[in-house]
Amino acid sequence: MKRHPDDGVLRRLVDEPTGVTDTDRHHVTTCQICQAGLADARRDAEFAATALSSGDPALNGSVAPAPASAGPDLDAAWQRLIHTGDPARKTRTASRWRRSPFIAGAAVVALLGGATAAAAADWFPIFRTERIAPITVHQADLMAMPDLSTWGDVEIISKPEIHRVPSEAAAEKESDLELPRVGKLPRGVTGDPTWQAGRRISAEFTFRADKIKSPAPPMPAGLDGSKFRLTAGPGAAAVWQSNQGVPSLIVARAVAPTAYSTGVPFATARDYLLSLSGLPEDVAAQLRRFSADGTTLPVHVMPEEMSSAPADVNGVSATVLTSKDGVLSVVVWVQGGVVTAVAGSLSADEVLTVARGLR
Amino acid sequence: MALSRAPNVVRNDLEQVFRESYARVVAVAARVLGSNDEAEDVAQEVFLTFGRSDVPKGEAVGWLSVAAAHTALNHIRTGKRRAGREERARSHDTVTPDVAEAVVASEERRRVRQALARLPRKQAVALVLRHSGLSYAEVAAALELSPGSVGTTVRRAESALRKELEP
Repeated sequence: MKRHPDDGVLRRLVDEPTGVTDTDRHHVTTCQICQAGLADARRDAEFAATALSSGDPALNGSVAPAPASAGPDLDAAWQRLIHTGDPARKTRTASRWRRSPFIAGAAVVALLGGATAAAAADWFPIFRTERIAPITVHQADLMAMPDLSTWGDVEIISKPEIHRVPSEAAAEKESDLELPRVGKLPRGVTGDPTWQAGRRISAEFTFRADKIKSPAPPMPAGLDGSKFRLTAGPGAAAVWQSNQGVPSLIVARAVAPTAYSTGVPFATARDYLLSLSGLPEDVAAQLRRFSADGTTLPVHVMPEEMSSAPADVNGVSATVLTSKDGVLSVVVWVQGGVVTAVAGSLSADEVLTVARGLR
Repeated sequence: MALSRAPNVVRNDLEQVFRESYARVVAVAARVLGSNDEAEDVAQEVFLTFGRSDVPKGEAVGWLSVAAAHTALNHIRTGKRRAGREERARSHDTVTPDVAEAVVASEERRRVRQALARLPRKQAVALVLRHSGLSYAEVAAALELSPGSVGTTVRRAESALRKELEP
């Protein structure tokens, strides 16, 4: 007797029967076991269709998929895509960065920066940023990457609340930092800047064994419930707007990220997190390497969008990031626990010239 | 100090692909999120990335659909649902005649989203793509599966979803 078609064939009979062979169709018609399996598949498919259509009247719950009858406003959507100053777009950009391995990876490494464990209840410094290094993460890996909340609880203790201030003096007062002055503005950047200040951001991560889905390697003893705190800022920036409504030049300075722990075996915890992260081995290896000294903050670079290169700003090691289309360049460096960045719709040479000419 | 940048619309075919595929991309994201407003946000994000990519035009629909599903699932998994969109979704609820119904619908959306986020990623994406109108062959091509295994993957996802959601 012919074997029964598998579950996948039965499922396809529900909504794409023409994709099933005549032999299998005939078998199912005459086989009580397969009829029962087909009924189960149909029931589950209908349940899923209803569940996936819940919540929005534009979606329907039929098993046979159908395009939305009243489609979105294409012209408005296209205008939104190409509109430069769309506030919603700024939110999306921020959202992308929040989700990126810059947070997921950098936070992991920053939090587990390789310092010696301290058996103390007080917060113990485990990481301070002394330099920045780019790591390469491809877009596909970025999309598949979960973030810290997959492995524990993330709580934002304080937000930067970036806001405009009336003067350079006000920006410096709020950030308690001395802002560098631009010696000579690059060609095309004119006028006076506006000033912004942001307060310190502080976030806390608590490992939760019950959040980590199996299959997963067993959690090392003592990790469950251990806490880490990451802080950065305050900071301030001078912003030159272009006539397109986007900044043509930004010079920003902030207190560099620092991490603290209540005391755990860091190397073990770091390796455990990296084993869960789903990152490809070459990225994990970069993160392990950078985490060895507890002072290098990795910044993720998606090679589909950005390229990175080492540079020198008046004797300090810096990293230059340039968008593939040449629209955006950033140079960033750390000195004395303070991170400084020069960015804008400029070439790499232009941001470097501005950086080296800061006073 | 978030840095805005001009949209890098570097593909000559972006507008054509956008107009041909936008509705489908929104539909895929909406299956995950249960809200067309949020789905349009996801679609914008996906097309911005596509606009800077060199994905061949012939593979655009599959790529965009998979990207929409992943991005929407990421929105759920990481809890990044913007307050404004939530507010808009709530305003939709207010047109429901029965307040209790609206509360139930909202809770149902939340449960479905959480259940989707708990599924293995490939199962969740295959499920969403099939229920968004992609054929078995299109799902297979988009996820680099054999056509035969699409049914199996979708079947497993549906079974798991039902077990997660049914009391």
